[in-house]
Amino acid sequence: MKDSKSVLVVGGGIAGIQASLDAADRGFKVYLVEKTPSIGGRMAQLDKTFPTMDCSICILAPKMAECYRHSNITLLTYSEVQDAKGSIGNFEVAVLKKARHVKEDKCVGCGICTEKCPVKVPNEFEMGLADRKAIYMPFPQAVPRLTTIDEENCLFFQKGTCRVCEKLCEAGAIDFDEKPEEIVLNVDAIILATGFDVFNPKAITAYGYGKYKNVITAMELERLICASGPTDGYILRPSDGKEPESVVFIQCVGSRDQRYNPYCSSICCKYAIKDAVLIREHHPEIDTYVFYIDLRAFGKGFQEFANRSKEEYGINYIRSNPGEIREDPITQDLTIWYEDTLTRTIKPLTVGLVVLCTASIPRPDNKKLSELIGVELDDLGFFRASHDIDHPVDLTVPGVYGCGFCLGPRVGDIPHSVMQAGAAVARMSEELAGMEEA
Amino acid sequence: MSKSEDTESRTHDSSHDTKLMHIVAHTPRGKGILDCIQCGRCTSSCPMARQTSRYNPRRLMEMITIGLKEEVLSNTPWYCLSCFTCVDKCPQGADVGEVIFAIRNIAAREGHIPPGIKAQGGNIIDTGKISNPTKSILKQRQEMGLPEIEPSDTEELLKILRKTGFDKIIGHK
Amino acid sequence: MKYAFFIGCLVPARELSYEFAARKILPTLDVELVDMHGANCCAPFGIQSLDYISWLALATRNLCIAEEMGLDILALCSDCYESLLMTNTILKENSDIKGQVNEVLSEIGKEFKGEIEIKHMIDVLYEDVGPEKIKNAVVTPLTDLKVATQPGCHLVRPKMLHFGSVGGYDELDELVRATGAEVIDYDGKEICCGGPIRDTFDKYSRSLINQKIKAMKKANVDCAVTICPFCFLQLDLGQREIQTRFKEELNLPIFHFPELLSIALGFKLTDPQIRDHRISINHILEKYNGYEVSS
Ligand SMILES: Cc1cc2nc3c(=O)[nH]c(=O)nc-3n(C[C@H](O)[C@H](O)[C@H](O)COP(=O)(O)OP(=O)(O)OC[C@H]3O[C@@H](n4cnc5c(N)ncnc54)[C@H](O)[C@@H]3O)c2cc1C
Ligand code: SF4
Ligand code: SF4
Ligand code: SF4
Ligand code: SF4
Ligand code: SF4
Repeated sequence: MKDSKSVLVVGGGIAGIQASLDAADRGFKVYLVEKTPSIGGRMAQLDKTFPTMDCSICILAPKMAECYRHSNITLLTYSEVQDAKGSIGNFEVAVLKKARHVKEDKCVGCGICTEKCPVKVPNEFEMGLADRKAIYMPFPQAVPRLTTIDEENCLFFQKGTCRVCEKLCEAGAIDFDEKPEEIVLNVDAIILATGFDVFNPKAITAYGYGKYKNVITAMELERLICASGPTDGYILRPSDGKEPESVVFIQCVGSRDQRYNPYCSSICCKYAIKDAVLIREHHPEIDTYVFYIDLRAFGKGFQEFANRSKEEYGINYIRSNPGEIREDPITQDLTIWYEDTLTRTIKPLTVGLVVLCTASIPRPDNKKLSELIGVELDDLGFFRASHDIDHPVDLTVPGVYGCGFCLGPRVGDIPHSVMQAGAAVARMSEELAGMEEA
Repeated sequence: MSKSEDTESRTHDSSHDTKLMHIVAHTPRGKGILDCIQCGRCTSSCPMARQTSRYNPRRLMEMITIGLKEEVLSNTPWYCLSCFTCVDKCPQGADVGEVIFAIRNIAAREGHIPPGIKAQGGNIIDTGKISNPTKSILKQRQEMGLPEIEPSDTEELLKILRKTGFDKIIGHK
Repeated sequence: MKYAFFIGCLVPARELSYEFAARKILPTLDVELVDMHGANCCAPFGIQSLDYISWLALATRNLCIAEEMGLDILALCSDCYESLLMTNTILKENSDIKGQVNEVLSEIGKEFKGEIEIKHMIDVLYEDVGPEKIKNAVVTPLTDLKVATQPGCHLVRPKMLHFGSVGGYDELDELVRATGAEVIDYDGKEICCGGPIRDTFDKYSRSLINQKIKAMKKANVDCAVTICPFCFLQLDLGQREIQTRFKEELNLPIFHFPELLSIALGFKLTDPQIRDHRISINHILEKYNGYEVSS
């Protein structure tokens, strides 16, 4: 194979990162396009990861750094695909590099600008549990390691005043005049790795998410238990900052529900077990309950892990799907009526914190990409494989592949995302090599 | 827990009518039985299940599936308030609150009808209404200047209800 | 705005004050009510339990009468409303069932065509009249009156069916607020009044009433408002039964919503209307000048 072959990878989560590294190691010239200011995706937000219970960012950060250093990889963060034409061996893709107003070659990531910027907005990385500034680095291990000005919230862009960051930056990295830039790339193949969004449980009004402060999502909990998160890893209730006496996980919120998402999201049982164990490790005094319909602890070592979580960590599993949560307006404790379907008892349980294990859903981005590139989506909005058994990582246009959660909830965990990344790169190499021989 | 309940899910004795589920599924309003995943959200939300342990809609669905015909058609389905809380909550559109009507329709044909409901049926045939005013109410209506209550066309209604077989279902002569 | 007025059986036989107030209030808000001649029982849940096609045929006969009048139906009773609404929806959506029902109705020379809509009084007050217009018509604002609303089941559930019409608690609460009263939330607002099992399992029917009244009282309300004759019967008559049986003083006044609206619009409740209430409402009437001593 000639070493001039090139690939566009869209999405810088674990799947896109792994695909980029694998392709780059094989000699491909890789363009990794990520729409947010940093690569990392969901995995960067997680605390520990099943199945090994390793620190998530500790595994991910070296891979992110390698992407940055690798001579075959060009990182295009804060960028989006605008247009695409051509076919396998010859795609022409237009990428829009949004203006971050901080020069990549000057910023040293010292953080002085962020410290002094007067504007506070909810921090997306911390799932809104903390604030960030209008000029910010999304998280400490961000790659590339530089700040970005968020035009929508910056005083200068909105009202024409301030420019504090510019005055304080010793490196002279701030550039208010920077314009978005369109880059046209010629690539032989495309790998899509746009990952997933989290279902907003506000739709299920009876659970009171958004109304009751102590009802949170699992993604929010990941930040709460993370030592570098907004509460330094302590489980504290959003309502009063106190430690709850008990925590409940509710499974299948918006998954396996004909009105929202009919499919099983495939990861939430496993991460609930993981998170329940983490809570008991940090705070053995907190009682934990998991309300499940079927505990889908499939895969290597998971049933054993589930069993241990019961026996060693004392987690209470209740086979039930509660229909409503009510808040005590004074204590802000939450009461859940439930039927234990195994004993047929019906009773209320009052707890301090409820974690909703919400469905993983397709990113809205998939639609635009499918229109630009011509690949099909399935009925749910994930990318459709050209054949689910024979070619599970090939998409419906030759030369375009997928990996990670954007293929839908097959087994949407990190190990499988990594495997699919490898598979996508292997299929790409195989098909491009086949073209050369022909 | 009664003895029969204790063993039912394991054994396959003659008290299990395996056809029951299919009969229910083919009754209008009964097809939801095929979609139930036994998640328990209906019972968790059902106001009646909080009043008495004799009523449990998820369990009712389970009993239909297992084929416990006696229990299913006896007085169990008449506990339901038809409040449709379960229908709003069910993640699978199995809609117990609807399936109950399928069961009640089957029960009615087999002669299990609570006396109060049977009386309602009789009243409809006789007067076209399920509740009729007393003499003193009629007087009060006059006093208040409310219009007279028109009698229903019972002849027409009888034609309809004979055609549907309603009169036979409630044993009306 | 003109509607075929489906009065049902229970309201004219037992809830005269509801009927009286509705007949008075709606026309003053420009809703014209045209009585339906020859209508029969709506075929509520008891009848639905006996036979599917009989239910639909009975209910459809009423729909045909309204179709002949060329008017949408306005119902006062939530049970009537839902039975007619379900029937109308099923027949419009399912031509097979429509055929079966029409065959039955051919016996009496009627045919369902699917030309009308079914509305609850609350639909009409919210969508056609609107809270703004009511607010402007109020002459005696019910200031400082703390009200618990009982939306009941069949106005709001199943949600799917009510999509596009009122379908929510908020609308009722907003209408009550338009009178100047304050709506107070209470535990278990969405729970059934227990009416459907009044005859079959009276013990549990009573416990549902008891829980509801207690929750309302715990929320410190002055009175409760219903929009369904069954809910009223349960909360008013049922409350008195509990009081006599268990020697418990609850004394929570219950109003049909149009009664409360009457007072706000400056009408006074008449003696026979007040006699319809088994739990005294007099102190509230006095406060808002809503009591007319009959001559
Ligand atoms: C609460 C929770 C806990 C979890 N815990 C574990 C665990 O312990 N172990 C485990 O194995 N798995 C866990 N998972 C699953 C894990 O998060 C996923 O397997 C993994 O994140 C999937 O990676 P991905 O790269 O496919 O998607 P993502 O992580 O979603 O990454 C997708 C990336 O693509 C970018 N992107 C999207 N659209 C575009 C576009 N149009 N243009 C450019 N870029 C785009 C996004 O910004 C993002 O950076 C957990 C999931 C949740 C929700
Ligand atoms: S922009 Fe300037 S002040 Fe801000 S982090 Fe970069 S170098 Fe530091
Ligand atoms: S100019 Fe904008 S980004 Fe810079 S400090 Fe002011 S508000 Fe923050
Ligand atoms: S993985 Fe578990 S919680 Fe998630 S949808 Fe599937 S069964 Fe429900
Ligand atoms: S009827 Fe619906 S809510 Fe009830 S157990 Fe079955 S699936 Fe769950
Ligand atoms: S409709 Fe019947 S089964 Fe469903 S919640 Fe109401 S009482 Fe329970």
